[in-house]
Amino acid sequence: MPRLLSGALRLRRDPRMLKLPPYLSLLCILVGVVWLFLLPLDEYSRRTYISENALLPGQVHTYFGGSDQNVFRAYKHEVNSLVGKSNVEINDKLESIVKGLGLKAGRQNFTYRSAGRVYSGENLYAILQAPRGDATEAIVLVAAWENAKEELNRNGVALVLTLARYFKRWSLWSKDIIFLVTPDSIAGPQAWVDAYHDAHDSARVDSLPLKSGALQGAIAIDYAKEGRFESVHIVYDGVNGQLPNLDLINSVVSIAGGQMGMGVAIQEMWGHNDQYPDRLRTMLRGMLKQGLGLASGPHSSFIPYHVDAVTLQPFGDGWQDEMAMGRVVEGTFRSLNNLLEHLHQSFFFYLLMQRERFVSIGTYLPSAMLVAANFTIMAIALWVKSGQPEGEAEPVKMEADGIGSGETTRAPAVERDLFLPLGVVTICQFLAVIPFYLFNHAPDSMLTPAFTIFAVINTALPHSLSHLLTTYYTPSAQQYQLIKSFSLLLLGMFLSSLATLNFSLAFLVGLLTSPLTFMRPWPQSPAMRTACTVLLNAVSPTAVLVAAAFAWHLDINTVLREAAFAWDVCGMYTPVVVWCVWWPAWLAGSVTVLGRPEVGKTKQKTT
Amino acid sequence: MDGGKVTLGRTAGLYLGAAVLRLALFTLFPGLADLLTGRVEISTPVTSFKRLQEGLFLYDHNVSPYDGGVYHQAPLFLPLFSLLPSLPIFTYLLYIAVDILSAGALLKIADSGEAGSSALFTSPRREKRWSGFVIAAVFLFNPFTIATCIGRSTSVFTTCAILHAISRAVAGAPFSAMVALSFAAYLSMYPLLLLPPLLLLCYDRQLPERAIKPGMRSAATNILVVVGVLAALFQMSYLMTGSWEFLPSTYGVQLTLSDLTPNIGLWWYFFIEMFDSFRSFFLAVFWLHLSCYVGGLTIRLRRQPLVVLTLLLGIFSIFKPYPSISDASLFLAMVPLYRHVFPLMRYTFVIAAVIMYTTFLGPAFYHLWIYAGSGNANFFYAITLVWGLGQSLLVCDLTFAVLRDEWEVERPEMAGKDIRQI
Repeated sequence: MPRLLSGALRLRRDPRMLKLPPYLSLLCILVGVVWLFLLPLDEYSRRTYISENALLPGQVHTYFGGSDQNVFRAYKHEVNSLVGKSNVEINDKLESIVKGLGLKAGRQNFTYRSAGRVYSGENLYAILQAPRGDATEAIVLVAAWENAKEELNRNGVALVLTLARYFKRWSLWSKDIIFLVTPDSIAGPQAWVDAYHDAHDSARVDSLPLKSGALQGAIAIDYAKEGRFESVHIVYDGVNGQLPNLDLINSVVSIAGGQMGMGVAIQEMWGHNDQYPDRLRTMLRGMLKQGLGLASGPHSSFIPYHVDAVTLQPFGDGWQDEMAMGRVVEGTFRSLNNLLEHLHQSFFFYLLMQRERFVSIGTYLPSAMLVAANFTIMAIALWVKSGQPEGEAEPVKMEADGIGSGETTRAPAVERDLFLPLGVVTICQFLAVIPFYLFNHAPDSMLTPAFTIFAVINTALPHSLSHLLTTYYTPSAQQYQLIKSFSLLLLGMFLSSLATLNFSLAFLVGLLTSPLTFMRPWPQSPAMRTACTVLLNAVSPTAVLVAAAFAWHLDINTVLREAAFAWDVCGMYTPVVVWCVWWPAWLAGSVTVLGRPEVGKTKQKTT
Repeated sequence: MDGGKVTLGRTAGLYLGAAVLRLALFTLFPGLADLLTGRVEISTPVTSFKRLQEGLFLYDHNVSPYDGGVYHQAPLFLPLFSLLPSLPIFTYLLYIAVDILSAGALLKIADSGEAGSSALFTSPRREKRWSGFVIAAVFLFNPFTIATCIGRSTSVFTTCAILHAISRAVAGAPFSAMVALSFAAYLSMYPLLLLPPLLLLCYDRQLPERAIKPGMRSAATNILVVVGVLAALFQMSYLMTGSWEFLPSTYGVQLTLSDLTPNIGLWWYFFIEMFDSFRSFFLAVFWLHLSCYVGGLTIRLRRQPLVVLTLLLGIFSIFKPYPSISDASLFLAMVPLYRHVFPLMRYTFVIAAVIMYTTFLGPAFYHLWIYAGSGNANFFYAITLVWGLGQSLLVCDLTFAVLRDEWEVERPEMAGKDIRQI
């Protein structure tokens, strides 16, 4: 044992050990990426299953249909007559309809301001009190007047009215059912859910006049398509990449796919052959959406409040009609009605790669953690390296026979000068407040010019900072190592914390910042310095933003406006991560690359 | 003389800067104070400002503050806070003043040089040290200290009392040191365990003209002072609340851990899981464990009582029943006094990284557990374990460095050589 220990100790002092970390970091990144690409294989993913036995999806006969078809047509007629009218007029009419059904109705105004625009409207909702319940629990059925693509959701609203009338006739509900009609798909539901949980800012959103019990689940219908459809598309991404409990998705899949015999798609994969490429594509789309963290439909606002919710969208040309869609909702509601406690059995962290195949957090988290770990490894390596005397190739002089003759003299660690590196990293972190504030408070018309100016300044900023640094402080190589070490340590820390909250965002940011691990000053080689600077500018937050906007054929104004809107209304924290985690790390990395360390400046203060 | 003035101006500037920063945080972000007050990392059942307000409300309405079972803090807080004008700004100013008083005490401890050379031991490395100004600045601008101040946890009063006790002891004023320690013990009970090393510190730093020579007599006098002051404080509390009910509600709660609100310590989870029949046994074990360090460290490090105090503060912030980041900030305030042994420490980077990682992962996992509902209590407890690990690494590493420093004085030929396990 002592022999083994001293062997390990000797290995620790081996100078070759210090050459290892960059390769280890690279290995971490590569394994992390390869790991992700292995996930869609049969061996690493699992088939989904219903975990909560109380749900019993597809076990009840659904009766929606028959004469309800005529009711639906009548309501559709009413809805058609309201097209083009104002929000208040629409709600007046709808309120008279739901009150006519014997439901209690409430209305709520909201006005959000973001990027100089005003988003206002009025929500209408009605509560069906459970014949067998005590108003302690409720399920929500949502139809936005306009869906996320701003198409008119005629069938959706008509179907909600029809279902309200149909559900009212049944005596088996043990949970209240709330029917919610919102003017738009994001702000309206957000205002309603915030107010339902008394978490609203009363200056912008009114309180709800009428409430029921704790929300147990929510289904949103986005049925803008006219005519018969083939399959339903389940949208399940919440704000900030939070997901509903997998049991809810499984229930809908099992009811729509199993009981009703219609197709089910996820992540806009209209055809899915369940082979590796399709699974991978589904998973990557899911990760991208999760990473962006935007609200993807009326259901998104519910998920942060721990209310599991999905949006159902019919698509394709087939022979399913509105009644079939109604039966899917009926079946799902019957399942939710069975719940004895909040959905908790199944997974909250998962990546779906087909409607019946998923990986859970234990399987996929290591890939993001490995990417985050590469920064920490490098940070530790740089810290150790910075403690070694400069210019000495072999810092350790070992005695001839290490084990026998006792103590080897330790090469004393060089005193580290911490003040300047800590200062630089702190300043980089604090500078991040500027773009963050700018892009969340600039008015709509100013966003593109502000962004252009910022992008230009952003390219010049590392040069000027580096110039300032070399002129006034002449940092040594050790101080550059420490700047990089601290900045990478912070980055690794933020990303590994973030990976537990939003895996995809942490993974994407980790990949985009991975070049920072390998950046160092190039005092001797201007060519390498230029190459590294160009590389870093290509992966800077601003460049990535422009490239992404270009790839999706969006203009930069829309992207920034949506981001500001999501931050102001839904509390989406992606901008915080981009400007306060990614950008400072990038800035510190760029300053390091441009650095010109003073050779031999390190004081050989030995301890 | 001129230099003294400059230093004075600099120190005043530091205090002013710290005060302005805190006041700005209080006033510019009005939601921040209440947010931090609700965080379990800052507010424990025995220090929470919200609970204090509850007790205050009951007290103002002539109901016993301990009736609701929410308030577990010392009774004398109540007249202090009910005498304050009801505007929140006065509370802010009080907390800021307490922080600055603590920093002043810390500055005096640092400038006395006791950390580098005590009565019985002089470190060969003592030249390399930070001035009191730097140490006070590290304390005042430590994010943990600021968060505690903004969160208005009442543990700042204990911190202040402990630091004053040490600073008076170092200044050779055993009487006021003992009075300050009694206040600390009255507010939080656990500082009573600091009494043995503090007695030694007082004895070592006695002023020659007022020295009480035999050690026993000096200790007995000091213990008598503590007992007397504590008795007076208890009597005042009794007169104020009209019953002895406050004893079980304040110290009893700490002794029996009857409130199992999660915190960053190691007790709550353990006692949630515990079968009731074992509860009293393990309570005794946990308390015994906490107090057993006092004797050992005091004897082993007899020559440097200030080190014992520092290490004990670190141990308390890991193992006491209701720790918060305020205890960590007190320990981290004392650690820079040992700048001279920093080069002997081996894991500084690891410790800093662990403490920083847990600072971010802790709230993230708490969020997953409580708000997102997608995690569970194990997530948060795992992080508190790592937090405890980081702090105990620091305690161990500091102990190692101090002992090595002593050892190299005894065995000069071993300086600079590696230790090896045989």
